Amino acid sequence: MNNNRPKDHNELEEIEINLLLEGIFRYYGFDFRNYTFPFLNRRIWNRMREEKIASISGLQEKIFHDPFVMNRLLDDFSINVTEMFRDPSFFLSFRKKIVPFLRDSPYIRIWHAGCSTGEEVYSMAILLHEEGLYEKTRIYATDMNESVLRVGKEGKFPLHKMQLYTKNYLASGGKKAFSEYYKVQNENASFHSFLTKNVVFAQHNLVTDRSFNEFHVIICRNVMIYFDKVLQNRVYNLLHESLGLSGILGLGSKEGIKFTSIADDYEEVDTFEKLYRRIQ
Amino acid sequence: MKFKTQVITCFGMIYGIYAIFSVYHWTSMDNYEHDIEGYIKSYSMLNLAYSIHEWVNVYSKESRELFANPPNKYIEQFTKNQDKSLQNVNEALDAYQKVDRSKESQEIVKKLKTIVKNYSEIDKEMDVLLKEGKKEEVSQLYWNQGRAVSDKMIELSNQLQTIQNEITNEKLNQSLKKYIQTTKITKIYMLLDYLMGGTLFSWILWNVTRRLNKVSSVMAEVNFDSLEKLPRINMKTKDEIGKIALSFNEMAQALEEHTLHEKELKNATEEQSWLKTKVAEFATMYSGIDDLETLGHLFITKLTPIIGANYGLFYIKRSIGDEDVFQKIATYAYNQQKIGTDHFRFGEGLVGQCALENRMIVLNQVPNNYIKITSGTGMASPSEILIIPVEYQGEVLSVIELASFQSFSHLEQLLLKEIIRNLGINIQSIIRHMQVERLLQESQALTEELQSQSEELQSQQEELRIVNEQIETQYENAEKKTRELENVQSILEEKAQQLSLSSQYKSEFLANMSHELRTPLNSLLILAQMLAENVDGNLTAKQMNYADTIFSSGNDLLHLINDILDISKVEAGKMEITMNEVKLSDVKKFVDSQFTPVARKKNIQFNIQLASNLPTYIHTDTHRLQQILNNLLSNAFKFTNHGTVSLTIQKVEKGMYAKQSAFLHSDIEFAFSVKDTGIGIPAENHAIIFDAFKQADGTINRKYGGTGLGLSISQEISRLLGGFIEVESIEGNGSTFTLYLPNNKNLNSSVISLSEAEVATGLLEASGSGPITPVVSSVRSEEVRKQLHERKALLEGKKVLVVDDDMRNIFALTTALESYHVEVMFAENGREGITILQKNPEVDLILMDIMMPEMDGFEAIQFIRKIPKFQSLPIIALTAKAMKYDRNQCIEAGASDYISKPVNLEQLISIMRVWLYR
Repeated sequence: MNNNRPKDHNELEEIEINLLLEGIFRYYGFDFRNYTFPFLNRRIWNRMREEKIASISGLQEKIFHDPFVMNRLLDDFSINVTEMFRDPSFFLSFRKKIVPFLRDSPYIRIWHAGCSTGEEVYSMAILLHEEGLYEKTRIYATDMNESVLRVGKEGKFPLHKMQLYTKNYLASGGKKAFSEYYKVQNENASFHSFLTKNVVFAQHNLVTDRSFNEFHVIICRNVMIYFDKVLQNRVYNLLHESLGLSGILGLGSKEGIKFTSIADDYEEVDTFEKLYRRIQ
Repeated sequence: MKFKTQVITCFGMIYGIYAIFSVYHWTSMDNYEHDIEGYIKSYSMLNLAYSIHEWVNVYSKESRELFANPPNKYIEQFTKNQDKSLQNVNEALDAYQKVDRSKESQEIVKKLKTIVKNYSEIDKEMDVLLKEGKKEEVSQLYWNQGRAVSDKMIELSNQLQTIQNEITNEKLNQSLKKYIQTTKITKIYMLLDYLMGGTLFSWILWNVTRRLNKVSSVMAEVNFDSLEKLPRINMKTKDEIGKIALSFNEMAQALEEHTLHEKELKNATEEQSWLKTKVAEFATMYSGIDDLETLGHLFITKLTPIIGANYGLFYIKRSIGDEDVFQKIATYAYNQQKIGTDHFRFGEGLVGQCALENRMIVLNQVPNNYIKITSGTGMASPSEILIIPVEYQGEVLSVIELASFQSFSHLEQLLLKEIIRNLGINIQSIIRHMQVERLLQESQALTEELQSQSEELQSQQEELRIVNEQIETQYENAEKKTRELENVQSILEEKAQQLSLSSQYKSEFLANMSHELRTPLNSLLILAQMLAENVDGNLTAKQMNYADTIFSSGNDLLHLINDILDISKVEAGKMEITMNEVKLSDVKKFVDSQFTPVARKKNIQFNIQLASNLPTYIHTDTHRLQQILNNLLSNAFKFTNHGTVSLTIQKVEKGMYAKQSAFLHSDIEFAFSVKDTGIGIPAENHAIIFDAFKQADGTINRKYGGTGLGLSISQEISRLLGGFIEVESIEGNGSTFTLYLPNNKNLNSSVISLSEAEVATGLLEASGSGPITPVVSSVRSEEVRKQLHERKALLEGKKVLVVDDDMRNIFALTTALESYHVEVMFAENGREGITILQKNPEVDLILMDIMMPEMDGFEAIQFIRKIPKFQSLPIIALTAKAMKYDRNQCIEAGASDYISKPVNLEQLISIMRVWLYR
């Protein structure tokens, strides 16, 4: 009779991961407890391999007693996949459907939630510039991770990516030559500072922090795919709180508000490109 | 006699003799030397004597010359010469005198000296005379005196000379004699010495040589090829050579032993080397073999001859069925004799026993009918048989059986042990190898399977992808449809809302109309009744009939109106519930009195049953309960023509109410069941009978009357009481309606209005969005008023600067604060805020947002704190960021306090009170 058979290996790992996340939340305040499990698993094992630690509990020890390890793990958890004019059709749709509606406002506030290294922000800045809306716009670019924000502020991106970005830019309805917006420095393309004149970069954690303003446009693309349903709802509510009536919410190509708690308050502006307008 | 002694004696003697001789020789040499010295002395004296003689002569000559009247030019020189020779004479004489020892000569010398002296005086006389020129006198002097003296002088000197000559000769002769003597003795001694020495020496030499020869001859006999047998020196003497002999003998002994020992070692090494070589041969043999049969065959073929056996068998452990059996797989010189078996189990036979015990078995006396070793020229029984187990890590894998005509030597057995050890390992490795091969084959088979499956999967994937695409398009279509549907739905909802609204209006209207409707109707009824009574007796029977009809119609109308009003009241949400304690027995009485007459009239049996475990009282609304029971029972009687109608009141058990268990039914305690044997209700109508304005079918009204409102009213009322009504019925078989009620002990006897509750919850939900949460105060109004008053006093008249880029906040805060009579200024970012502050330095408190463009809250606070007069100005940070670290950052930047967004007004006022307190 073996009533105390230890739980099998996967269960144990799950417990360890949960303890680790709980510990991180209690000690550092970062809340990763509602990210999707496969993502967390991958990132944690990756960190363990890098630090040459054999068990998750071992990583927990390191996390508590070595803040540098925590920083590295934080970086691991930040999702930094981004391009300029990523999914160009999104930007094209934005140009065609949203911009005309923005022209009527005396001023525009846009929030890029989870802007990572800022490619998206620069893309929006260029777009608004070309549409003559930049001067009356203020863009807030936030991300959980301070180090990627710093990169964003710099405005320097690797030169080898410019080919892809140019292609994207053209496909998104870009009116000028992409190269007009940057100059080459060593191996980087350095974007002109006029693009960030009206941009505020700030650290903000979608999981733990609350609404800090009301916006006309909120872009939150491919940020929440790693959150579980509970967390997603919470974040959607936060975005909802921060969006004014008739405000525009833009999501990533694999996302949608259909089954969220705020679904009923929005109408679709562009179904494919995940652009929604708040109607109540 | 010891050699040493001999030698000592011998040489001692020689030495001794020689010593004596040497002493003698020494002395004589000394004497000789002494003599020679004497001789030399004499000789020198002789020389002196000659000298004296010579000088005397010269002297006399010189004087003679002077005496001979030389020319004057020579006088001086001759005088000089004369003096000189005189001097020489004297010197010589003195010298002679000094060493003279002979008396004789001493006398002579004395005399001579005197004479010389005489002569010198004469000389002197002569000189004088010469100088005087008295040559004649000089001559005279000479011839008279001089010459005689001179002759005497010469004679004396001659004498001296002669004496001395004699002495000298004497001495010489003596010496010579002595010398000859010495020589003679020396010669004798030498001869003696040689003889003696020679003898002794020879003797000793002979002795020693003889014995040394003995030793060396024995040594020479030593044969270096066969050092184990060495000759011994046979010498008994105890001298040195005897000792050598002894030592030699001992050494010989030791050498013999050593050689023997070496031989043994060499043998052992050879054996070892032979062993190792053979083992190595065997070790190398194993490579390249990968099946047991080959191994067995190779092994036994190689082993048997090497070990000196003539017959060998190799058994290997195999599983046959579920047993382990040792099976013969290889042989050496096997001749198919039908003696012996092919396989043994553990413990079976000697082979099995050997395997079981894992120990070698040796048979020394092999009986005759055992196996025979055969060759072309004959056959015979072996003389020794060995059965050896081959093991690996304690497990016996194989058994080897060997037979030989000769006993197995110790060495052979050692070899066997070594080889067997290796064999075990190799058998195991082959077994493993075979396992691996098998597994490899299996895995290969599996891989192929997997491959084909994967191909299948791929094609399935393709299909899936296509299907997926199709689904996506369908999804898009579905979405489109859904949107359309939603549109429709929203339209419908609007309509429904409008409908409900209108129906609500209707209900309200109707409810309000109750009084208006009932009043005329009441008067109508009273009047009709009065007419029917015919008090004055002035009406015909027909007229009285008319009055009756009017009355009953009016009554019906009243009931109808009541029903309509009830349902409309319920729908308008204006039905009142009054909870009280209801005695169940009273309920029974009521029902009894109401319906027994009805039952009697219709000839239906009417039963009322109360369960025994019911409490006396229940908490509910008496009137409403009665209303429901009334309705149910009247329905029952209405739709039953014969049979029974029964009311059962009982306590509820779990599972009694099956249909509506999703409802909030944790506290249902009582069940009032009305069962009839009437027409029953078809299943499809079970739901609609509870709908207002519907009867089971349109014809019911005509047949049975009634408005069809009763059940819906009852259902609504039951809900208000916290319960529900369920129906069970089969068409043609009667129905059972059950009212479930809770025991509402907890409900206050205050007014519960359905619609009010709904409105409250609606408000709560709606207030969830926006930056300000409305305060839900549960404090008694009096205290609230007091608090408010206090707060108002502290805040009134203060100047507050709000710095935030979120317009909603500014608006909300401004509104809220101004209601406390606070003067509010605002700015949209840090820079603006600072400017306004500097223009209005009398600001009492700043509410500072953090995330702002141009200059964020931290910067602004830091800047403000740098200004001395604002160093203690209360600044409350408004932060949307929730982490502890971010909040601490606010304080570190210089904020006095912080409050999180969305801002709780109550909390904000509290904080402001704290920081505005002076």
